[in-house]
Amino acid sequence: MDNLYESLRQWLQQLATQGDLPLSFQYGFVINALLCALFIGPLLGAVGTMVVTKKMAFFSQAIGNAAMTGVAIGVLLGESYTEPYVSMFIFCLLFALALNFTKHNSNLSADTLIGVFLSISLAVGASLLLFVSAKVNTHILEAVLFGSVLTVSDTDINVLILVSILVVAIGGPLFNQLLLASLNPSLAAARGARVKLLEYIFVIIITVLTVACLKIIGAVLVEALLLIPAAAARNVISSMRGFVFLSMAIATVSCFAGILIPMEFDLPIPSGGAIVMVAALFFIITTLIALLSPRFQRAGL
Amino acid sequence: MSASENALKTTVGPALKMQQLELSLANTSILQDINFAIKAGEVHCLVGPNGGGKTSLLRCLLGQMPHRGTVTIDYSQSPDELPRVTGYVPQQLHMEKTLPLTVNDFMAIACESLRPVFFGRSKARKVICDELLDRVGLGANKRRRPVGSLSGGERQRLLFAQAMIPQPSLLLLDEPLSSLDQGGARQLIDLIAECSSRGTTIVWVAHELSLVREVADSVSCISRRLLATGSVDDVLNNIDPDILYRPVSDSVEAVL
Repeated sequence: MDNLYESLRQWLQQLATQGDLPLSFQYGFVINALLCALFIGPLLGAVGTMVVTKKMAFFSQAIGNAAMTGVAIGVLLGESYTEPYVSMFIFCLLFALALNFTKHNSNLSADTLIGVFLSISLAVGASLLLFVSAKVNTHILEAVLFGSVLTVSDTDINVLILVSILVVAIGGPLFNQLLLASLNPSLAAARGARVKLLEYIFVIIITVLTVACLKIIGAVLVEALLLIPAAAARNVISSMRGFVFLSMAIATVSCFAGILIPMEFDLPIPSGGAIVMVAALFFIITTLIALLSPRFQRAGL
Repeated sequence: MSASENALKTTVGPALKMQQLELSLANTSILQDINFAIKAGEVHCLVGPNGGGKTSLLRCLLGQMPHRGTVTIDYSQSPDELPRVTGYVPQQLHMEKTLPLTVNDFMAIACESLRPVFFGRSKARKVICDELLDRVGLGANKRRRPVGSLSGGERQRLLFAQAMIPQPSLLLLDEPLSSLDQGGARQLIDLIAECSSRGTTIVWVAHELSLVREVADSVSCISRRLLATGSVDDVLNNIDPDILYRPVSDSVEAVL
Protein backbone atom coordinates (compact mmCIF):
# COMPACT_ATOMS: atom_id res chain seq x y z
CA MET A 1 0.00 0.00 0.00
CA ASP A 2 2.73 2.42 1.03
CA ASN A 3 4.48 1.97 -2.34
CA LEU A 4 1.21 2.78 -4.05
CA TYR A 5 0.85 6.01 -2.07
CA GLU A 6 4.48 6.87 -2.83
CA SER A 7 4.07 6.45 -6.59
CA LEU A 8 0.80 8.39 -6.51
CA ARG A 9 2.52 11.20 -4.63
CA GLN A 10 5.45 11.25 -7.07
CA TRP A 11 3.13 11.33 -10.07
CA LEU A 12 1.03 14.21 -8.68
CA GLN A 13 4.12 16.11 -7.53
CA GLN A 14 5.52 15.81 -11.04
CA LEU A 15 2.28 17.17 -12.51
CA ALA A 16 2.46 20.08 -10.05
CA THR A 17 6.04 20.95 -11.00
CA GLN A 18 5.05 20.85 -14.68
CA GLY A 19 2.33 23.37 -13.83
CA ASP A 20 -0.61 21.00 -14.59
CA LEU A 21 -1.79 21.06 -10.97
CA PRO A 22 -1.80 23.79 -8.27
CA LEU A 23 1.56 24.25 -6.57
CA SER A 24 0.24 22.80 -3.29
CA PHE A 25 0.45 19.35 -4.90
CA GLN A 26 4.22 19.61 -4.76
CA TYR A 27 3.99 18.63 -1.10
CA GLY A 28 3.57 14.99 -0.23
CA PHE A 29 1.59 15.79 2.92
CA VAL A 30 -1.00 17.73 0.94
CA ILE A 31 -1.56 14.73 -1.30
CA ASN A 32 -1.89 12.53 1.81
CA ALA A 33 -4.47 14.90 3.24
CA LEU A 34 -6.41 15.02 -0.04
CA LEU A 35 -6.37 11.23 -0.23
CA CYS A 36 -7.94 11.18 3.23
CA ALA A 37 -10.49 13.81 2.16
CA LEU A 38 -11.55 11.51 -0.67
CA PHE A 39 -12.76 9.03 1.97
CA ILE A 40 -13.70 11.40 4.80
CA GLY A 41 -15.99 13.63 2.73
CA PRO A 42 -18.42 11.06 1.32
CA LEU A 43 -18.40 8.98 4.50
CA LEU A 44 -19.05 11.78 6.96
CA GLY A 45 -21.57 13.29 4.55
CA ALA A 46 -23.56 10.06 4.28
CA VAL A 47 -23.33 9.01 7.94
CA GLY A 48 -24.15 12.60 8.90
CA THR A 49 -27.61 12.31 7.36
CA MET A 50 -28.33 9.46 9.76
CA VAL A 51 -26.78 11.36 12.67
CA VAL A 52 -29.04 14.33 11.97
CA THR A 53 -32.11 12.11 11.51
CA LYS A 54 -31.42 10.24 14.73
CA LYS A 55 -30.68 13.53 16.56
CA MET A 56 -27.30 12.30 17.69
CA ALA A 57 -25.24 15.34 16.64
CA PHE A 58 -23.64 15.81 20.03
CA PHE A 59 -22.84 12.17 20.40
CA SER A 60 -19.97 12.43 17.92
CA GLN A 61 -18.81 15.59 19.68
CA ALA A 62 -18.58 13.56 22.88
CA ILE A 63 -16.58 10.90 21.03
CA GLY A 64 -14.24 13.58 19.63
CA ASN A 65 -13.61 14.82 23.15
CA ALA A 66 -13.15 11.27 24.39
CA ALA A 67 -10.46 10.86 21.75
CA MET A 68 -8.42 13.52 23.57
CA THR A 69 -8.41 11.24 26.61
CA GLY A 70 -7.48 8.40 24.27
CA VAL A 71 -4.50 10.33 22.95
CA ALA A 72 -3.39 11.24 26.48
CA ILE A 73 -3.65 7.64 27.65
CA GLY A 74 -1.73 6.56 24.55
CA VAL A 75 1.08 8.97 25.30
CA LEU A 76 1.16 7.88 28.96
CA LEU A 77 1.36 4.23 27.90
CA GLY A 78 4.19 5.00 25.54
CA GLU A 79 2.30 4.61 22.26
CA SER A 80 3.58 6.74 19.37
CA TYR A 81 2.18 10.19 20.08
CA THR A 82 1.54 10.94 16.42
CA GLU A 83 -0.54 7.79 15.87
CA PRO A 84 -1.98 6.57 19.19
CA TYR A 85 -4.73 4.63 17.40
CA VAL A 86 -4.86 1.62 19.74
CA SER A 87 -5.57 3.79 22.80
CA MET A 88 -7.94 6.05 20.88
CA PHE A 89 -9.99 3.21 19.40
CA ILE A 90 -10.17 1.24 22.64
CA PHE A 91 -10.96 4.20 24.87
CA CYS A 92 -13.49 5.78 22.51
CA LEU A 93 -15.27 2.47 21.88
CA LEU A 94 -15.54 1.81 25.62
CA PHE A 95 -16.79 5.35 26.15
CA ALA A 96 -19.39 5.05 23.37
CA LEU A 97 -20.62 1.64 24.51
CA ALA A 98 -20.89 2.92 28.09
CA LEU A 99 -22.91 5.91 26.89
CA ASN A 100 -25.25 3.76 24.83
CA PHE A 101 -25.66 1.22 27.62
CA THR A 102 -26.55 4.01 30.07
CA LYS A 103 -28.99 5.44 27.54
CA HIS A 104 -30.83 2.12 27.32
CA ASN A 105 -30.94 1.67 31.06
CA SER A 106 -31.77 5.12 32.37
CA ASN A 107 -34.83 7.32 32.50
CA LEU A 108 -32.91 10.34 31.27
CA SER A 109 -33.54 11.64 27.78
CA ALA A 110 -30.82 11.08 25.20
CA ASP A 111 -29.82 14.75 24.93
CA THR A 112 -29.39 15.10 28.70
CA LEU A 113 -27.30 11.97 28.89
CA ILE A 114 -25.13 12.90 25.92
CA GLY A 115 -24.64 16.34 27.52
CA VAL A 116 -23.43 14.70 30.72
CA PHE A 117 -21.02 12.41 28.88
CA LEU A 118 -19.86 15.26 26.64
CA SER A 119 -18.89 17.39 29.64
CA ILE A 120 -17.17 14.49 31.37
CA SER A 121 -15.18 13.60 28.26
CA LEU A 122 -14.14 17.22 27.73
CA ALA A 123 -13.06 17.70 31.35
CA VAL A 124 -11.12 14.45 31.52
CA GLY A 125 -9.68 14.81 28.01
CA ALA A 126 -8.50 18.40 28.44
CA SER A 127 -7.06 17.75 31.89
CA LEU A 128 -5.19 14.62 30.87
CA LEU A 129 -3.94 16.14 27.62
CA LEU A 130 -2.54 19.17 29.40
CA PHE A 131 -1.08 16.84 32.03
CA VAL A 132 0.88 14.91 29.40
CA SER A 133 1.61 17.95 27.26
CA ALA A 134 4.97 18.37 29.01
CA LYS A 135 6.00 15.10 27.37
CA VAL A 136 5.12 16.03 23.81
CA ASN A 137 5.55 18.80 21.36
CA THR A 138 2.55 21.16 21.70
CA HIS A 139 1.97 21.16 17.94
CA ILE A 140 0.77 17.60 18.38
CA LEU A 141 -1.88 18.85 20.77
CA GLU A 142 -3.03 21.49 18.33
CA ALA A 143 -3.21 18.84 15.64
CA VAL A 144 -5.35 16.62 17.86
CA LEU A 145 -7.70 19.46 18.71
CA PHE A 146 -8.05 21.23 15.37
CA GLY A 147 -6.58 18.92 12.77
CA SER A 148 -3.50 19.35 10.67
CA VAL A 149 -2.61 18.30 7.16
CA LEU A 150 1.07 18.33 8.11
CA THR A 151 0.88 15.26 10.28
CA VAL A 152 -1.04 12.88 7.99
CA SER A 153 1.01 9.73 7.51
CA ASP A 154 0.62 6.57 5.44
CA THR A 155 -0.60 4.82 8.60
CA ASP A 156 -3.40 7.39 8.92
CA ILE A 157 -4.46 6.71 5.34
CA ASN A 158 -4.40 2.96 5.93
CA VAL A 159 -6.53 3.28 9.07
CA LEU A 160 -8.98 5.52 7.26
CA ILE A 161 -9.33 3.16 4.29
CA LEU A 162 -9.87 0.19 6.58
CA VAL A 163 -12.52 2.07 8.57
CA SER A 164 -14.18 3.26 5.34
CA ILE A 165 -14.49 -0.29 4.03
CA LEU A 166 -15.92 -1.40 7.37
CA VAL A 167 -18.44 1.44 7.55
CA VAL A 168 -19.64 0.96 3.96
CA ALA A 169 -19.84 -2.83 4.26
CA ILE A 170 -21.82 -2.72 7.52
CA GLY A 171 -23.59 0.64 7.41
CA GLY A 172 -24.78 0.42 3.79
CA PRO A 173 -26.91 -2.72 4.09
CA LEU A 174 -28.23 -1.61 7.49
CA PHE A 175 -29.13 1.94 6.40
CA ASN A 176 -32.85 1.24 5.86
CA GLN A 177 -33.24 -0.66 9.11
CA LEU A 178 -31.42 2.06 11.04
CA LEU A 179 -33.68 4.69 9.59
CA LEU A 180 -36.88 2.73 10.21
CA ALA A 181 -35.78 1.92 13.76
CA SER A 182 -35.28 5.60 14.47
CA LEU A 183 -38.77 6.44 13.15
CA ASN A 184 -40.71 3.58 14.74
CA PRO A 185 -38.72 0.98 16.71
CA SER A 186 -41.73 -1.26 17.15
CA LEU A 187 -42.42 -1.43 13.41
CA ALA A 188 -38.73 -2.01 12.66
CA ALA A 189 -38.64 -4.87 15.16
CA ALA A 190 -41.83 -6.35 13.66
CA ARG A 191 -40.08 -6.28 10.27
CA GLY A 192 -37.19 -8.28 11.67
CA ALA A 193 -34.72 -5.59 12.71
CA ARG A 194 -32.81 -6.11 15.95
CA VAL A 195 -33.30 -2.59 17.20
CA LYS A 196 -30.97 -2.58 20.20
CA LEU A 197 -28.16 -4.25 18.30
CA LEU A 198 -28.60 -1.74 15.48
CA GLU A 199 -28.22 1.10 17.95
CA TYR A 200 -24.93 -0.34 19.19
CA ILE A 201 -23.68 -0.90 15.63
CA PHE A 202 -24.47 2.70 14.72
CA VAL A 203 -22.70 4.00 17.79
CA ILE A 204 -19.63 1.92 16.86
CA ILE A 205 -19.75 3.24 13.29
CA ILE A 206 -19.76 6.86 14.47
CA THR A 207 -16.97 6.12 16.92
CA VAL A 208 -14.52 4.47 14.52
CA LEU A 209 -15.29 7.08 11.89
CA THR A 210 -14.67 9.93 14.34
CA VAL A 211 -11.35 8.45 15.45
CA ALA A 212 -10.21 7.79 11.88
CA CYS A 213 -10.98 11.37 10.80
CA LEU A 214 -9.36 12.98 13.82
CA LYS A 215 -6.00 13.72 12.21
CA ILE A 216 -7.46 15.90 9.47
CA ILE A 217 -10.36 17.59 11.19
CA GLY A 218 -9.44 17.51 14.84
CA ALA A 219 -11.24 16.38 17.99
CA VAL A 220 -13.07 19.64 18.50
CA LEU A 221 -14.48 19.91 14.99
CA VAL A 222 -15.03 16.37 13.69
CA GLU A 223 -18.66 16.51 14.82
CA ALA A 224 -19.17 19.62 12.69
CA LEU A 225 -18.46 17.71 9.49
CA LEU A 226 -21.02 15.07 10.45
CA LEU A 227 -23.56 17.75 11.20
CA ILE A 228 -23.14 20.78 8.93
CA PRO A 229 -23.19 19.15 5.45
CA ALA A 230 -26.26 17.09 6.39
CA ALA A 231 -27.97 20.14 7.89
CA ALA A 232 -27.09 22.22 4.80
CA ALA A 233 -28.50 19.53 2.49
CA ARG A 234 -31.63 19.12 4.57
CA ASN A 235 -32.42 22.81 4.17
CA VAL A 236 -33.20 22.40 0.48
CA ILE A 237 -33.98 18.72 -0.08
CA SER A 238 -37.13 16.68 0.39
CA SER A 239 -36.08 13.13 -0.55
CA MET A 240 -33.65 10.69 1.01
CA ARG A 241 -31.61 10.24 -2.14
CA GLY A 242 -31.05 13.98 -2.54
CA PHE A 243 -30.36 14.34 1.17
CA VAL A 244 -27.60 11.72 1.21
CA PHE A 245 -25.92 12.64 -2.07
CA LEU A 246 -26.00 16.41 -1.52
CA SER A 247 -24.62 15.97 1.99
CA MET A 248 -21.83 13.76 0.61
CA ALA A 249 -21.02 16.33 -2.06
CA ILE A 250 -20.96 19.26 0.37
CA ALA A 251 -18.75 17.38 2.83
CA THR A 252 -16.31 16.31 0.10
CA VAL A 253 -16.04 19.75 -1.50
CA SER A 254 -15.57 21.28 1.97
CA CYS A 255 -12.72 18.88 2.76
CA PHE A 256 -10.90 19.57 -0.51
CA ALA A 257 -11.39 23.33 -0.30
CA GLY A 258 -10.47 23.42 3.39
CA ILE A 259 -7.20 21.63 2.71
CA LEU A 260 -6.21 23.44 -0.51
CA ILE A 261 -7.28 27.05 0.15
CA PRO A 262 -5.01 27.66 3.18
CA MET A 263 -2.12 26.02 1.26
CA GLU A 264 -2.65 28.02 -1.92
CA PHE A 265 -3.00 31.33 -0.11
CA ASP A 266 -0.39 30.53 2.53
CA LEU A 267 -2.82 31.03 5.42
CA PRO A 268 -1.63 29.73 8.81
CA ILE A 269 -4.98 28.22 9.83
CA PRO A 270 -5.67 24.60 10.86
CA SER A 271 -7.23 22.33 8.25
CA GLY A 272 -10.13 21.42 10.54
CA GLY A 273 -11.12 25.05 10.98
CA ALA A 274 -10.87 25.76 7.26
CA ILE A 275 -12.92 22.68 6.30
CA VAL A 276 -15.69 23.54 8.75
CA MET A 277 -15.76 27.19 7.60
CA VAL A 278 -16.27 26.08 4.00
CA ALA A 279 -19.05 23.72 5.11
CA ALA A 280 -20.58 26.58 7.09
CA LEU A 281 -20.63 28.67 3.93
CA PHE A 282 -22.72 25.96 2.23
CA PHE A 283 -25.02 25.95 5.23
CA ILE A 284 -25.53 29.71 5.03
CA ILE A 285 -26.24 29.51 1.30
CA THR A 286 -28.81 26.72 1.61
CA THR A 287 -30.44 28.43 4.59
CA LEU A 288 -30.86 31.58 2.50
CA ILE A 289 -32.27 29.55 -0.40
CA ALA A 290 -34.75 27.90 1.96
CA LEU A 291 -35.71 31.28 3.40
CA LEU A 292 -36.17 33.04 0.10
CA SER A 293 -37.64 30.35 -2.15
CA PRO A 294 -41.42 29.87 -1.98
CA ARG A 295 -40.83 26.15 -2.59
CA PHE A 296 -39.74 25.78 1.03
CA GLN A 297 -42.46 27.92 2.59
CA ARG A 298 -43.41 26.61 6.00
CA ALA A 299 -46.40 27.19 8.22
CA GLY A 300 -44.39 29.45 10.51
CA LEU A 301 -45.54 27.87 13.75
CA MET B 1 -60.57 -6.39 -11.13
CA SER B 2 -57.13 -4.77 -11.02
CA ALA B 3 -53.84 -6.61 -11.25
CA SER B 4 -53.11 -6.12 -7.56
CA GLU B 5 -56.30 -7.88 -6.51
CA ASN B 6 -55.11 -10.89 -8.43
CA ALA B 7 -51.70 -10.51 -6.88
CA LEU B 8 -52.75 -11.52 -3.35
CA LYS B 9 -51.93 -15.19 -3.03
CA THR B 10 -53.60 -17.86 -1.00
CA THR B 11 -51.89 -18.33 2.32
CA VAL B 12 -52.49 -20.22 5.54
CA GLY B 13 -52.44 -18.04 8.61
CA PRO B 14 -51.52 -19.28 12.08
CA ALA B 15 -53.82 -20.08 14.98
CA LEU B 16 -53.04 -18.00 18.06
CA LYS B 17 -53.38 -18.94 21.71
CA MET B 18 -52.71 -16.92 24.82
CA GLN B 19 -52.47 -18.76 28.13
CA GLN B 20 -52.13 -17.06 31.51
CA LEU B 21 -50.73 -14.02 29.72
CA GLU B 22 -49.62 -11.33 32.14
CA LEU B 23 -47.69 -8.12 31.62
CA SER B 24 -46.34 -5.63 34.14
CA LEU B 25 -44.21 -2.63 33.29
CA ALA B 26 -42.55 -0.45 35.93
CA ASN B 27 -44.54 -2.16 38.69
CA THR B 28 -47.83 -1.38 36.97
CA SER B 29 -49.97 -4.26 35.88
CA ILE B 30 -50.95 -3.84 32.23
CA LEU B 31 -52.50 -7.22 31.48
CA GLN B 32 -53.67 -9.95 33.84
CA ASP B 33 -54.79 -13.49 33.31
CA ILE B 34 -55.50 -13.29 29.59
CA ASN B 35 -56.63 -16.61 28.14
CA PHE B 36 -58.13 -16.90 24.70
CA ALA B 37 -57.57 -18.43 21.30
CA ILE B 38 -57.95 -17.23 17.73
CA LYS B 39 -58.57 -19.75 14.98
CA ALA B 40 -56.40 -19.85 11.88
CA GLY B 41 -57.65 -17.50 9.18
CA GLU B 42 -60.05 -15.60 11.44
CA VAL B 43 -60.51 -11.85 11.67
CA HIS B 44 -60.40 -11.28 15.41
CA CYS B 45 -61.18 -7.86 16.84
CA LEU B 46 -59.92 -6.56 20.16
CA VAL B 47 -62.23 -3.98 21.66
CA GLY B 48 -62.11 -2.19 24.99
CA PRO B 49 -61.53 1.20 26.58
CA ASN B 50 -58.44 3.40 26.05
CA GLY B 51 -55.56 2.30 28.23
CA GLY B 52 -57.00 -1.19 28.50
CA GLY B 53 -53.88 -2.92 27.19
CA LYS B 54 -54.91 -3.70 23.60
CA THR B 55 -51.75 -2.28 22.03
CA SER B 56 -49.65 -4.04 24.67
CA LEU B 57 -51.38 -7.31 23.79
CA LEU B 58 -50.49 -6.84 20.11
CA ARG B 59 -46.89 -6.18 21.09
CA CYS B 60 -46.89 -9.36 23.19
CA LEU B 61 -47.94 -11.18 20.02
CA LEU B 62 -45.00 -9.53 18.24
CA GLY B 63 -42.68 -10.76 20.99
CA GLN B 64 -41.73 -7.22 21.96
CA MET B 65 -42.91 -7.26 25.57
CA PRO B 66 -41.48 -8.94 28.70
CA HIS B 67 -44.70 -10.86 29.31
CA ARG B 68 -45.32 -13.91 31.45
CA GLY B 69 -47.44 -16.84 30.39
CA THR B 70 -47.42 -18.27 26.90
CA VAL B 71 -48.26 -16.89 23.51
CA THR B 72 -48.45 -19.58 20.87
CA ILE B 73 -48.36 -18.76 17.18
CA ASP B 74 -49.27 -22.09 15.69
CA TYR B 75 -48.38 -22.59 12.05
CA SER B 76 -48.93 -26.37 12.18
CA GLN B 77 -51.72 -26.16 9.57
CA SER B 78 -49.52 -24.20 7.18
CA PRO B 79 -47.37 -26.15 4.69
CA ASP B 80 -43.65 -25.46 5.12
CA GLU B 81 -43.26 -23.95 1.68
CA LEU B 82 -45.74 -21.13 2.37
CA PRO B 83 -44.11 -17.97 3.71
CA ARG B 84 -44.82 -17.05 7.35
CA VAL B 85 -44.88 -13.30 7.44
CA THR B 86 -46.23 -11.03 10.17
CA GLY B 87 -47.48 -7.65 8.96
CA TYR B 88 -47.87 -4.93 11.57
CA VAL B 89 -49.70 -1.63 11.34
CA PRO B 90 -48.73 0.54 14.31
CA GLN B 91 -51.16 3.10 15.66
CA GLN B 92 -49.35 6.19 14.43
CA LEU B 93 -46.16 7.30 12.77
CA HIS B 94 -44.59 10.27 14.50
CA MET B 95 -42.11 12.18 12.42
CA GLU B 96 -40.59 15.60 12.09
CA LYS B 97 -42.49 17.62 9.51
CA THR B 98 -39.37 18.48 7.50
CA LEU B 99 -37.56 15.13 7.51
CA PRO B 100 -36.57 14.56 3.86
CA LEU B 101 -38.26 11.18 3.62
CA THR B 102 -40.90 10.83 0.92
CA VAL B 103 -43.71 8.28 0.76
CA ASN B 104 -41.61 6.33 -1.76
CA ASP B 105 -38.60 6.50 0.58
CA PHE B 106 -40.68 5.19 3.45
CA MET B 107 -41.83 2.21 1.39
CA ALA B 108 -38.18 1.59 0.48
CA ILE B 109 -36.84 1.64 4.03
CA ALA B 110 -39.68 -0.59 5.21
CA CYS B 111 -39.65 -3.09 2.34
CA GLU B 112 -36.11 -3.19 0.90
CA SER B 113 -33.95 -5.20 3.24
CA LEU B 114 -30.37 -4.57 2.11
CA ARG B 115 -30.44 -1.96 -0.64
CA PRO B 116 -29.99 1.48 0.96
CA VAL B 117 -32.87 3.85 0.28
CA PHE B 118 -30.61 6.38 -1.48
CA PHE B 119 -29.98 3.81 -4.23
CA GLY B 120 -33.73 3.60 -4.88
CA ARG B 121 -35.86 0.48 -5.14
CA SER B 122 -35.66 -2.54 -7.40
CA LYS B 123 -38.12 -2.37 -10.33
CA ALA B 124 -40.16 -5.34 -9.11
CA ARG B 125 -40.44 -3.88 -5.61
CA LYS B 126 -41.44 -0.51 -7.01
CA VAL B 127 -44.31 -2.07 -8.99
CA ILE B 128 -45.65 -3.83 -5.89
CA CYS B 129 -45.28 -0.72 -3.73
CA ASP B 130 -47.06 1.47 -6.30
CA GLU B 131 -49.96 -0.98 -6.61
CA LEU B 132 -50.46 -1.03 -2.86
CA LEU B 133 -50.14 2.72 -2.49
CA ASP B 134 -52.81 3.03 -5.17
CA ARG B 135 -55.06 0.64 -3.31
CA VAL B 136 -54.77 2.52 -0.02
CA GLY B 137 -55.45 5.79 -1.83
CA LEU B 138 -51.99 7.34 -1.94
CA GLY B 139 -51.87 8.26 -5.61
CA ALA B 140 -48.85 9.24 -7.69
CA ASN B 141 -49.21 12.90 -6.62
CA LYS B 142 -48.61 11.99 -2.96
CA ARG B 143 -45.63 9.71 -3.37
CA ARG B 144 -42.95 12.37 -3.68
CA ARG B 145 -44.25 14.26 -0.67
CA PRO B 146 -42.39 14.08 2.66
CA VAL B 147 -44.16 11.72 5.04
CA GLY B 148 -43.98 14.44 7.71
CA SER B 149 -46.28 16.63 5.62
CA LEU B 150 -49.00 13.98 5.32
CA SER B 151 -52.17 14.13 7.38
CA GLY B 152 -52.86 11.56 10.10
CA GLY B 153 -55.15 9.59 7.82
CA GLU B 154 -52.65 9.57 4.97
CA ARG B 155 -49.97 8.24 7.31
CA GLN B 156 -52.31 5.46 8.39
CA ARG B 157 -52.82 4.52 4.75
CA LEU B 158 -49.04 4.44 4.30
CA LEU B 159 -48.55 2.29 7.40
CA PHE B 160 -51.17 -0.11 6.05
CA ALA B 161 -49.48 -0.33 2.66
CA GLN B 162 -46.10 -1.31 4.14
CA ALA B 163 -47.70 -4.06 6.23
CA MET B 164 -48.92 -5.73 3.02
CA ILE B 165 -45.36 -6.19 1.69
CA PRO B 166 -44.52 -9.00 1.64
CA GLN B 167 -48.05 -10.38 1.79
CA PRO B 168 -48.65 -11.31 5.45
CA SER B 169 -49.96 -14.58 6.80
CA LEU B 170 -50.59 -12.88 10.15
CA LEU B 171 -51.72 -9.26 10.14
CA LEU B 172 -51.72 -7.22 13.36
CA LEU B 173 -53.64 -3.95 13.09
CA ASP B 174 -53.55 -1.31 15.81
CA GLU B 175 -56.51 1.02 15.21
CA PRO B 176 -55.71 1.35 11.51
CA LEU B 177 -58.85 3.37 10.77
CA SER B 178 -58.86 5.88 13.63
CA SER B 179 -57.97 8.95 11.53
CA LEU B 180 -59.41 7.87 8.20
CA ASP B 181 -62.22 9.45 6.25
CA GLN B 182 -65.05 7.15 5.16
CA GLY B 183 -63.58 6.49 1.74
CA GLY B 184 -60.24 5.57 3.24
CA ALA B 185 -61.84 3.32 5.83
CA ARG B 186 -63.73 1.54 3.04
CA GLN B 187 -60.54 1.00 1.03
CA LEU B 188 -58.74 -0.52 4.01
CA ILE B 189 -61.73 -2.64 5.04
CA ASP B 190 -61.79 -4.07 1.51
CA LEU B 191 -58.10 -4.92 1.82
CA ILE B 192 -58.61 -6.49 5.25
CA ALA B 193 -61.50 -8.56 3.91
CA GLU B 194 -59.48 -9.64 0.90
CA CYS B 195 -56.51 -10.67 3.04
CA SER B 196 -58.87 -12.64 5.20
CA SER B 197 -60.39 -14.37 2.19
CA ARG B 198 -56.88 -15.51 1.17
CA GLY B 199 -56.33 -17.16 4.56
CA THR B 200 -54.50 -14.51 6.57
CA THR B 201 -55.16 -14.48 10.31
CA ILE B 202 -55.97 -10.93 11.38
CA VAL B 203 -55.93 -9.40 14.85
CA TRP B 204 -57.46 -5.97 14.74
CA VAL B 205 -57.67 -3.42 17.56
CA ALA B 206 -60.81 -1.47 16.73
CA HIS B 207 -63.26 1.04 18.15
CA GLU B 208 -65.73 1.22 15.26
CA LEU B 209 -68.26 -1.38 16.41
CA SER B 210 -70.33 -1.24 13.22
CA LEU B 211 -67.25 -2.15 11.19
CA VAL B 212 -66.37 -4.86 13.69
CA ARG B 213 -69.80 -6.39 13.16
CA GLU B 214 -69.28 -6.23 9.42
CA VAL B 215 -65.84 -7.80 9.16
CA ALA B 216 -64.94 -9.72 12.32
CA ASP B 217 -65.36 -13.45 12.84
CA SER B 218 -64.76 -13.21 16.59
CA VAL B 219 -64.23 -10.52 19.20
CA SER B 220 -62.50 -10.14 22.56
CA CYS B 221 -63.16 -7.30 24.95
CA ILE B 222 -60.13 -6.36 27.00
CA SER B 223 -59.70 -3.95 29.84
CA ARG B 224 -56.56 -5.11 31.64
CA ARG B 225 -58.39 -8.44 31.93
CA LEU B 226 -60.31 -10.42 29.39
CA LEU B 227 -63.91 -9.34 29.88
CA ALA B 228 -65.45 -11.44 27.13
CA THR B 229 -64.44 -13.46 24.11
CA GLY B 230 -66.43 -15.30 21.47
CA SER B 231 -68.53 -14.68 18.40
CA VAL B 232 -69.28 -11.12 17.35
CA ASP B 233 -72.94 -11.24 18.36
CA ASP B 234 -72.30 -12.95 21.69
CA VAL B 235 -69.73 -10.43 22.79
CA LEU B 236 -71.13 -7.20 21.39
CA ASN B 237 -74.76 -7.92 22.31
CA ASN B 238 -74.04 -8.92 25.87
CA ILE B 239 -71.38 -6.48 26.92
CA ASP B 240 -72.38 -3.33 28.77
CA PRO B 241 -71.62 -0.64 26.17
CA ASP B 242 -70.56 1.70 28.97
CA ILE B 243 -67.47 -0.41 29.55
CA LEU B 244 -66.09 0.60 26.19
CA TYR B 245 -66.30 4.27 27.08
CA ARG B 246 -65.38 4.33 30.75
CA PRO B 247 -61.90 4.97 32.13
CA VAL B 248 -60.09 1.71 32.71
CA SER B 249 -60.17 1.51 36.48
CA ASP B 250 -63.96 2.01 36.54
CA SER B 251 -64.66 -0.58 33.90
CA VAL B 252 -62.53 -3.21 35.60
CA GLU B 253 -64.30 -2.64 38.89
CA ALA B 254 -67.66 -2.71 37.18
CA VAL B 255 -67.04 -6.23 36.04
CA LEU B 256 -65.20 -7.59 39.05
